[in-house]
Amino acid sequence: MSCELVERDLSAYLDRELDISAATAIRSHLAECVNCRRLVAERDALGALVRSAPYYPAPERLRARISGRTSRSRLASRFLPLAAAATLLVSVGIGAAVMRLGPATSTAMVDQVVDGHIRSLMADHLFDVQSTDQHTVKPWFLGKVDFAPPVVDLSSIGFPLVGGRLDYLGGQPVAALVYQRQKHTINVFVSPEKGGDPSDAVRSARGFHVHHWVRDGMSFWAVSDLNDAELTQFVRALQTS
Amino acid sequence: MATRVFEETVLPHLDAAFNYARWLTRNDSEAEDVVQDACVRAMRFFSSLREDNARAWLLTIVRNTWYSRVSRRSEVAESTAGDHDRSERADDALDPEERLLQQYTVARVRGALEQLPVDFREVIVLRELEGLPYKEIAAIVHVPIGTVMSRLSRARERLLTLLTPSDPMGRLP
Repeated sequence: MSCELVERDLSAYLDRELDISAATAIRSHLAECVNCRRLVAERDALGALVRSAPYYPAPERLRARISGRTSRSRLASRFLPLAAAATLLVSVGIGAAVMRLGPATSTAMVDQVVDGHIRSLMADHLFDVQSTDQHTVKPWFLGKVDFAPPVVDLSSIGFPLVGGRLDYLGGQPVAALVYQRQKHTINVFVSPEKGGDPSDAVRSARGFHVHHWVRDGMSFWAVSDLNDAELTQFVRALQTS
Repeated sequence: MATRVFEETVLPHLDAAFNYARWLTRNDSEAEDVVQDACVRAMRFFSSLREDNARAWLLTIVRNTWYSRVSRRSEVAESTAGDHDRSERADDALDPEERLLQQYTVARVRGALEQLPVDFREVIVLRELEGLPYKEIAAIVHVPIGTVMSRLSRARERLLTLLTPSDPMGRLP
């Protein structure tokens, strides 16, 4: 491995688009070459700088024009009962045992996960508790759900925790943990599940990627529009934390 | 019912569509027009959508819509890179103090990105702001993955030049 080869594949390496053997070769070269390490650091810094460029969200009037008048009321009628149900459940306290989420990665379930993700972004209700501190987010769920969701901050690898909220999936209350990757939001829905498959099942729907796995009696659903390579990296980190 | 499915498929990716169009056009109202036209086309071609790839599908339509608009006005020729490098340096007109102050601001990054030829600009936007994998970028931009890779690489070199002061001591990071 020469410096020229590193230079040639630098972009692909930093974008994690190289195959494992090529990436490994670069890594071992980097361990020995201070010049290439400097090059990588420089490109890392450039990447961070470029990602600070503005992201232009669609103006509200454009969204309204495209969705048309009817869909606005339809949206409200679709989500309001859910919101009302949520409020009611919270106010009476959740005493009932939380049931299984149903067949692991059924299409219906994947759909609900994606709906939940979209709802959290559209209804401007991403958090009930907004904090990057896992020691604030975790206790917030006390008394709101009858389980303790594992809450970890992954900001050290570029996935900062930004908050949490109470949500509903398949009619059951779930803890929703919200992470950020650059300008992308990742929702992780956590609820108790006995048994279940610990291996990571991946599905895509409507342009979103969905991962599901079970660990230590908890079911996890991670959903985002983030590219799947990075989402998989996030899921691996959660699974091994 | 068809409208509802369409909306549920397209609306979640409207921000991505607008952001892409805004960077292509560098103009708010033009970006709105492009996205609106694209959505009309998207509705017409809704049956061509593969279930798992709504975002890439919509972004492809946004790009085609923009492209057919500018080629009507024959602006593509001026705004695309071609395959020749031109050397550019940002903000030469500013005085040194101003230049220092603006060095790493959002405005400066935006300026540098907007100065990139559109072929370079769009791959940077799709990769860095939208976080898309090379494969999806290749599909949207209609070029082989190798071309995505080389455009990204050259775009980054260009950005490095644009965002790095000529003083070698001040190089990134």
